[in-house]
Amino acid sequence: MSAIDYTQELSVVEGKPPLREIDELIIQPLDTKPDKNFFIALSITGSMLLLGALMLAWSFYKGTGVWGNNNPVAWGFPIVNFVFWVGIGHAGTLISAILFLFRQKWRTGIARFAEGMTIFAVMTAGVFPIIHTGRPWLAGYLLPYPNQHDLWVNFHSPLVWDVFAVSTYFTVSFVFWYVGLIPDFGTLRDRTASKIKKVIYSVFSLGWRHSNRHWQHYEMVYLVLAGFATPLVLSVHTIVSFDFAVSILPGWHTTIFPPYFVAGAVFSGFAMVQNVLIIIRKIFHFEHIITLDTLERMNKIILLTGMMVGYAYAMEFFIAWYSGVQPEQFAFLNRAFGPYMWAYWIMVSCNVIFPQFFWIKKIRRKISVMFIIAVLVNVGMWFERFVITVTSLSRDYLPSSWAYYKPTLVDGGILIGSFGLFFTLLILFTKSLPVISISEVKAVVDGAQPSHGEH
Amino acid sequence: MSEPVNPVEYTKKELPASMSKIATALIAIGLIGVILAYLFDTTRASFNGLVMLMFVTSIGAGSVFLIAIEYLGGAVWSTPFRRVSEFLGAVVFLLPLLALPVYLNLHSIFEWTHLEVVEADKILSGKSAYLNPTFFTVRVIIFFSIWILFYLILTRNSKKQDSNGDQNLTKINIKVSAIFIPFFGLTLTFAAIDWIMSLEPHWFSTIFGVYYFSGTMLAALSFATILIVYLNEKGYFVKGISKDNYYSLGALLFAFVNFWAYIAFSQFLLIWYANLPEETFWYLARWDGAWKYVTISTIFIHFLLPYIVLAPQPAKKDPKRLIVASVIILFAHFLDIFWLVMPTFGKESFAFGWIEIAFPILAVGLILFVFVFKYKSENLVPIRDPKLKRGLNFRL
Repeated sequence: MSAIDYTQELSVVEGKPPLREIDELIIQPLDTKPDKNFFIALSITGSMLLLGALMLAWSFYKGTGVWGNNNPVAWGFPIVNFVFWVGIGHAGTLISAILFLFRQKWRTGIARFAEGMTIFAVMTAGVFPIIHTGRPWLAGYLLPYPNQHDLWVNFHSPLVWDVFAVSTYFTVSFVFWYVGLIPDFGTLRDRTASKIKKVIYSVFSLGWRHSNRHWQHYEMVYLVLAGFATPLVLSVHTIVSFDFAVSILPGWHTTIFPPYFVAGAVFSGFAMVQNVLIIIRKIFHFEHIITLDTLERMNKIILLTGMMVGYAYAMEFFIAWYSGVQPEQFAFLNRAFGPYMWAYWIMVSCNVIFPQFFWIKKIRRKISVMFIIAVLVNVGMWFERFVITVTSLSRDYLPSSWAYYKPTLVDGGILIGSFGLFFTLLILFTKSLPVISISEVKAVVDGAQPSHGEH
Repeated sequence: MSEPVNPVEYTKKELPASMSKIATALIAIGLIGVILAYLFDTTRASFNGLVMLMFVTSIGAGSVFLIAIEYLGGAVWSTPFRRVSEFLGAVVFLLPLLALPVYLNLHSIFEWTHLEVVEADKILSGKSAYLNPTFFTVRVIIFFSIWILFYLILTRNSKKQDSNGDQNLTKINIKVSAIFIPFFGLTLTFAAIDWIMSLEPHWFSTIFGVYYFSGTMLAALSFATILIVYLNEKGYFVKGISKDNYYSLGALLFAFVNFWAYIAFSQFLLIWYANLPEETFWYLARWDGAWKYVTISTIFIHFLLPYIVLAPQPAKKDPKRLIVASVIILFAHFLDIFWLVMPTFGKESFAFGWIEIAFPILAVGLILFVFVFKYKSENLVPIRDPKLKRGLNFRL
């Protein structure tokens, strides 16, 4: 291995490609007809989505009794899946907002895609609380509005805070994403030969002319939006954690929940982004834009956030013992050694143990291994939400009403359907919009930056 | 092998004589006050000694952490300033010394050292496997040794680089920093639990380590900021440091002001909302009598005031406002620790007199003295650090 030269800033794009080539490479998937693989992939995810839709239709026809939710475990799969999907979205916001403010140039290659994943993940997540009510047609009442009945939502409930948090999150993420797309729409408009496309791109580019003045305004707006989005990285999952933590249920009520949920969300989000990008860069030949260095950096963030999550597990366990409060102690022993111990140890090994392999540089740079570890991380993070939601509810203060929760096939079908929805949207995205920000990548190619001092 | 790095042009200037004079004077006044305090009112003095210990821990351990994250994150804007944190980090050597008088009075500070109380109390006897003087001592020795060890490794490599410009030293320090992070997380958390949380041995909060960490970062960063801005305005660093370097410093301070508020609010909200008596009594004790005003004032001093000062973009580039904000934050962190520790000593109202003034005076004097002392033997700028030139060319 050659030694690293710290006196030079490493370029995040390999090989100094000509700017024109970047245009062509990124836009190519939009200009060409989809190939066979595209339809194969789409039919797989489409079938998953269809399965989910059928299961949902069945649930509404028969009632939510077809789910595994029972008397103590009223939350079950819907909430587990909700928290999981909201978490997946977090990497996108972190990459686009916080890494932007930290001026991390390696984010440019992956930001657009991760932001797209944020939007799709939040859409997928949004399905679950609404179906969980059992009467999704009444969801409109979640929004407070003056009405003749003088009927208001319960502002004391974190479930209502969720409505505000998630919808704000979606709105800001979407605006951020769209603003980032405007210069690229301009490029697309200038290049396309098709008349219909020209009209569409013209409308969405909002009259973008690549002028100096446009860029000035654009950069300021982008900076301000990044500022707006930064607190959202923390607030959304903080409020999701409040759903649990404001209660008095042992295992749910613990003060570390807000930062712990945020770290976990970033953890799982990065794992998902890493997985999808590995496939995308291969299919579309983006290896020199989404470089191995970028993937390695993502793996470092996975390692770091994985340790934060491990820290939270340890702290919960230690303080439960330290508190001397019997129900607290029971809740954690029950997690680790009770009827759900299988889920608990899947969670611990996937989230805390396997990511430790990323301490080794070779593994951080080995595509096949990192892919598997990231898949395991997402398995672990899904199980984390399962463990938190189910174990605490299934055995709470009243032993006479303890019950074992068992998901049904319908629950499983809806979960598969959620993956179907997410990946279907993702696949459609790759063929309809540039998945890498053309203008931003051009700005980080070697030699694009104005230089200060000697060279 | 990369080429050795050539040094950046740097001439070392003598620190203003007033600085060491101020440090000596503060130490002299503080020390007399502290000795008298221990003679007059040992218990009260020990509690104040604990506040001082945790404050200096924040600066010391926090500075080592700042050094580590600079290496780990590959930041360049802070490289010209890194030595300031390296000098401040040396206060970790003082920690055993500062801990000693507190340790000798453990019995009058910590309820869990009273065997008869522990035996009569079911909950306390349940945790006596953790909260007992022997294990406590072992842990404290471990904390100090880890901080001192990593401080020594990181700063020695950095100093060595001044003479040989070897890039490998940077590489080694990056690895050492990575190893340090988990150690730091655990030691700082358990230090906070042992020295502060266990003052109320019945109380518990899982976020407590994170809470103390957020203050630690602020304290270490604001102390460094004061020195950096002061010395740079007087031309003690090298040419090339621009307002953009200041901006990054200010932005980091601003971020952690928000982070502290986030963590503090999360802890409060969850305990208030759930309203469980085994948790709420800790906040209620801080709402009793005169403590109420201290509690409310932390919201302003620790959050709103520095937030308002630092929020505008020009403020982060303005030396004056940076110093003002840093002084506020440093004071706020001291107040925060005072607020965490002292209600155990004075229920319903806080004691405030010359004793409470003597300890922070001594603390600031000692930290300043360590800085002046380290400055004498080392360069203020890591002249052959490979990232230095990039740091000097840093533009937003």
